[in-house]
Amino acid sequence: MTDATANQMPASGPAARSKHGSILVQAPSMRARNRAEARFKAYGLAAIVLALTMLAIMLTTILSDGLSAFRQASLTFPVTLDAATLDKSGNRDVAEMSKATTVTYGKVMAQSFVAHLVAQGISTEGVSEKELAAMLSKDAPAALRNDVLANPDLLGQTIEVTVLANGRIDGYLKGRVTMESAQKDSNISPEQLVLSDALRKAGILTSGFNWGFLKNPDASDQRPEAAGLGVAMIGSAYMMVLVLIITLPIGVAASVYLEEFAPKNKWTDLIEVNISNLAAVPSIVFGILGLAVFINFAGFPQSSSLVGAFVLSLMTLPTIIIATRASLKAVPPSIRDAALGVGASKMQTVAHHVLPLAAPGILTGTILGLARALGETAPLLLIGMVAFVDNYPSAPAEGVLDPATALPVQIYTWVQRSDPAFVERSNGAIIVLLLFLMVMNVTAILLRRRFERRW
Amino acid sequence: MNDMRLLERAVDTQVNKITARKVQVYYGQNHALKDVDVDILDKTVTAFIGPSGCGKSTFLRCLNRMNDTIAVCRVEGRIDLEGEDIYDPRVDPVQLRAKVGMVFQKPNPFPKSIYDNVAYGPKIHGLARKKADLDEIVESSLRKAALWNEVKDRLDAPGTGLSGGQQQRLCIARAIATSPEVLLMDEPCSALDPIATAQVEELIDELRSQFSVVIVTHSMQQAARVSQRTAFFHLGSLVEYGETGQIFTNPKDPRTESYITGRIG
Repeated sequence: MTDATANQMPASGPAARSKHGSILVQAPSMRARNRAEARFKAYGLAAIVLALTMLAIMLTTILSDGLSAFRQASLTFPVTLDAATLDKSGNRDVAEMSKATTVTYGKVMAQSFVAHLVAQGISTEGVSEKELAAMLSKDAPAALRNDVLANPDLLGQTIEVTVLANGRIDGYLKGRVTMESAQKDSNISPEQLVLSDALRKAGILTSGFNWGFLKNPDASDQRPEAAGLGVAMIGSAYMMVLVLIITLPIGVAASVYLEEFAPKNKWTDLIEVNISNLAAVPSIVFGILGLAVFINFAGFPQSSSLVGAFVLSLMTLPTIIIATRASLKAVPPSIRDAALGVGASKMQTVAHHVLPLAAPGILTGTILGLARALGETAPLLLIGMVAFVDNYPSAPAEGVLDPATALPVQIYTWVQRSDPAFVERSNGAIIVLLLFLMVMNVTAILLRRRFERRW
Repeated sequence: MNDMRLLERAVDTQVNKITARKVQVYYGQNHALKDVDVDILDKTVTAFIGPSGCGKSTFLRCLNRMNDTIAVCRVEGRIDLEGEDIYDPRVDPVQLRAKVGMVFQKPNPFPKSIYDNVAYGPKIHGLARKKADLDEIVESSLRKAALWNEVKDRLDAPGTGLSGGQQQRLCIARAIATSPEVLLMDEPCSALDPIATAQVEELIDELRSQFSVVIVTHSMQQAARVSQRTAFFHLGSLVEYGETGQIFTNPKDPRTESYITGRIG
């Protein structure tokens, strides 16, 4: 009985309804609001779709153009090292032997190559001996010469060598060079391409993972097949380590002082504004500053990773200071009160409580700052890191004074060169650079997850 | 306020711990505290009551110089701890705070283990030479704070994982681990539920045997329950100060009467 009355809805006609009308019918203003909301959501979605499309296009282009850089064609054949040609004195003296230039080695190598083809019964019809020799990379004789000078006992022997193929042959295997393009190309003829097909069948011309791309230094315009990122990666690694060593202590010290100790007055306000402005200064300006101060005034060697690191540090410091201050600010004041309340000094409060809590934020900011420095090109151009460097910098610590180059600068140098093989390599270098950045960003995320504490 | 116990609330000692004379506090141009004269007795719970913004917390924070951390804050007048001026230029506030501990409104344990929370103060003040000494301090502090039985099996667990009431008792344990002489409590129960509040109040009453406790509270019932002496602040002035029983049953100042009967504040 009571249930029945409870379930019965009290009678309510239009008269009982409030002036807002029925909630079952949408008011016109409500419809307009809903439409506006839907539009707003659509704008956001469109922006994200656009951004993702751009990213996808960029990645596809880079990967399709660059992945082939990680494969490299090479030729394997026996070379007879004629002692009479390569060591005229005959006493195996390295100083005497080094009189035989790469040109001599090139001839020896070409002779052996031709001999091998004849022995294998591969027709070289329509290909002159000079063209046959040109199918080997110009880098190959130099590599052989270095091997022989390092080990003079090789003289007189017949050794199996694996040498780089010419960039055009490499390009043919990757589909970049075709019969049509070869007809117009003075560096390669269709007959050579026909021959390389035969070489492939005979197992002389093979294609494998391109370790040289990751290890070798840069090479000249005529031999893209020999060019690698070795020096650039060492230079970038040196600079990143140096930038970290320089910026982290300075950045953290500056932020802790500004955030925790400095009185709040117009001077600290001024400093704060300046730091924010420095973060927005175009990086090339720091390059000019570095050239003027570190090289021309202080006399540090140009093109060296040390000067590069100084310049990148100047650029990274504001970023790190801003990130560190933000994470110091995010530490709740109650923690500082608690520490001060039990009688900790200001420094103990900061060192024992505030900094550990801010550490994930500081590390994230630092790694993102470093990642930005890793991709920076413009300031390095001005301090001479754009120079052609084909010697590895020596091991640290003196190595930081040796000329080096950096990954983004190497990319910049390669895209300027005319040979399309370099375009492929610069795309490959972009992939390497992106991998580095990805590793750094993932590290930042992991560090943040690992050290994040809740309170 | 006809609580009969109030009249029995006798003060055990008449020894002055803190003497404040003509204390003025300015926040920039704002004169926040005017001419405060208070004598805080040893081994006594003193309650500061008053409406929000009346300056009671400000005065509390003067007693261990926590106001030093606020750049615009300026304190004038004289506050003596056992006859020594705590605003003397020779006084290091850090050393003062080891003698005058503080518990805050919101439980604020360090994001560290329960053990480390309590051990932190003794560690930085060098109160324990050996690990065993430190263990003992931690245990006795947690026992005094009536938390030992609840946490003795998980001293390595994070202090932030405790319940609100436990966290506040942990903060009290942390404050008494440095064996202070005065314990300042700034609305210690405002973030706690009634059961946790009752536990903390019981604790405050026990702590009275060893420390001089000063508590700021918004709850007049709480002041009546735990304190022996009460000070009523209004608009930055100390209106009335005396035995808790007298303040709540027979206030001299009409403003005090208005406040405790709920007409102002």
